[in-house]
Amino acid sequence: MPTDEMPTDEMPTHGAATGFDPATATRQEIMATFLANDLQDGEILQIGAAMPVGEVAVRLAHFSHGPNMELIFIGARMNAAHLDVLPTPEFGWDRRTVRWAESFSDTGHRFDRVKDWHRRVFFIGGVQVDAFGNTNLIGVGENHRRLRFRGPGSVGTSTLSTLVGRYHIVLNSHSARTFVERCDFISAYGWGQGGADARTKLGIPGGGPKYCITPLCVMDFAPDTKRMRLHSLHPGVTVEEVRANTGFALDIPDDVPTTPRPTATQLEIIRTRADRRGALRH
Amino acid sequence: MSSPARHERIVDEADAATWITDTMTIAIGDPAPMAIIRQIIRRGVKDLTVVGSGLALDLLIAAGCVRRTMAYYVGGGFGGAVAPSFRRAAEQGEIEVWECEEGILTTGLRAGAQGLPFLPWRGGVGTSLPEVNPDLKVITDPIKGETLIAVPAIEPDVAILHAAVSDAYGNVQHCGGPGWLDLFLQRAADRTIVQVEKIIANEEVRSDPWATTIAGADAVVRAPYGAHPFYSRGYYVQDRAFTRLYVEAATAAAQAGDRGPLDAFLTRYVLEPETHGDYLERVGVKQLIALYEY
Repeated sequence: MPTDEMPTDEMPTHGAATGFDPATATRQEIMATFLANDLQDGEILQIGAAMPVGEVAVRLAHFSHGPNMELIFIGARMNAAHLDVLPTPEFGWDRRTVRWAESFSDTGHRFDRVKDWHRRVFFIGGVQVDAFGNTNLIGVGENHRRLRFRGPGSVGTSTLSTLVGRYHIVLNSHSARTFVERCDFISAYGWGQGGADARTKLGIPGGGPKYCITPLCVMDFAPDTKRMRLHSLHPGVTVEEVRANTGFALDIPDDVPTTPRPTATQLEIIRTRADRRGALRH
Repeated sequence: MSSPARHERIVDEADAATWITDTMTIAIGDPAPMAIIRQIIRRGVKDLTVVGSGLALDLLIAAGCVRRTMAYYVGGGFGGAVAPSFRRAAEQGEIEVWECEEGILTTGLRAGAQGLPFLPWRGGVGTSLPEVNPDLKVITDPIKGETLIAVPAIEPDVAILHAAVSDAYGNVQHCGGPGWLDLFLQRAADRTIVQVEKIIANEEVRSDPWATTIAGADAVVRAPYGAHPFYSRGYYVQDRAFTRLYVEAATAAAQAGDRGPLDAFLTRYVLEPETHGDYLERVGVKQLIALYEY
């Protein structure tokens, strides 16, 4: 497997003139950059497996402005700010990644102390996402005993979404099949049936979903209703395209900005350090 | 006058599998104790309730051993889709899914270990989990009046684990610490069988007692490469070519209704090899020694 698809001999270092032209950023690189810009130094990133956009976003933030972040892969907690690259694990205990750990925890003992989980951020996917940011990893159908599509299960998302300071919904595709008015089943409670008090009235301490990001756009939640609304369109995407691929009536402001592209410096970090194998370039 | 001797707890994988009988609740750890799992399938055990995850659980379902899953994730791992046999069996109603989540399953195991009827957990409040799993009760806590989920105790009849080493008396030491929920499975279960890469001398255990992660497993099975095709920390990495073989065969059975490749896989790698040694011969030395750490 090629570890570096860039021709290193001619590898340029800065800016458009040297090959990290922001205009060449892919949609997925734009998604990762948007998420990285949201992440703050000192935050703890709980990183799920096989979520390339999220994995690159975390590395980009860590390498560019977050040297005090803590990265947790499964149970391996690390700081990799001193590294040029941090490989993506290919299975649960991939030494190429976990050898940088400063501490380990098994799955069960991770729940022994959750009182600092407000400092954590994580990314969640779903087989369904609804208008109030609830997500479903259980499955699709009316009858739980005979689902039309059986999902993989909730993993740790019910607890994470309850406790972490904020989280982002990240999807690799944007379709009306995924974006539904109401999830058939809710495995992670976002904003329930809406309203600013949707979480506090149930005593749920975590801050809830902040952004929902797809290959088409970024969405967020209106402060009063907590209903999903369009936040920005990725370059080249139209409102009509988003509307046609969203299965609920998405609130669309009059003026929708374009999701910013990575800067040349960010793109250089992505392509040479955060995503050397080019998972986001395909 | 000599004192009576302490009993050793070493059994072979086929004997260990006789502990598992129809309708039991078993818990399988991660790394997966595949040497024993294959023997359970060879014995044709039925109607198990299984606390487990991933492809090891999927194999038990494919072989027709499972009636109910207590799992929060049954996927192929790291980008793998929903595990094929689990997906098909759940959609067809052939298995019952005790729907749960990482924090919830951990809480139930903790209650089981502590002899409590339940323990409360906050994760899952507001979700569909209590609706699709009526064993989970939404309660108002008597101290502060908060809304929580009461998770009933989970008490497996047998926990089956894979670890690095043990002495003959079941003093188990993991390499690089225990993984997943293994310690919680052991604490909650009535009995625990641990298969290990290597059996070591009791003196070696005594030289570093803090390294003992499970004190007194009820049975120990010597099973080098016993987690194959999955990884075993400090010993070998996952055999992704082999797991792909299974996933392709199981997917053909689940999605195209063609059980031929799956039955051939089960025959070749599970039913025919009588012992773990026979299985390793089928896999082949070259494939096994290619799985060392980087």
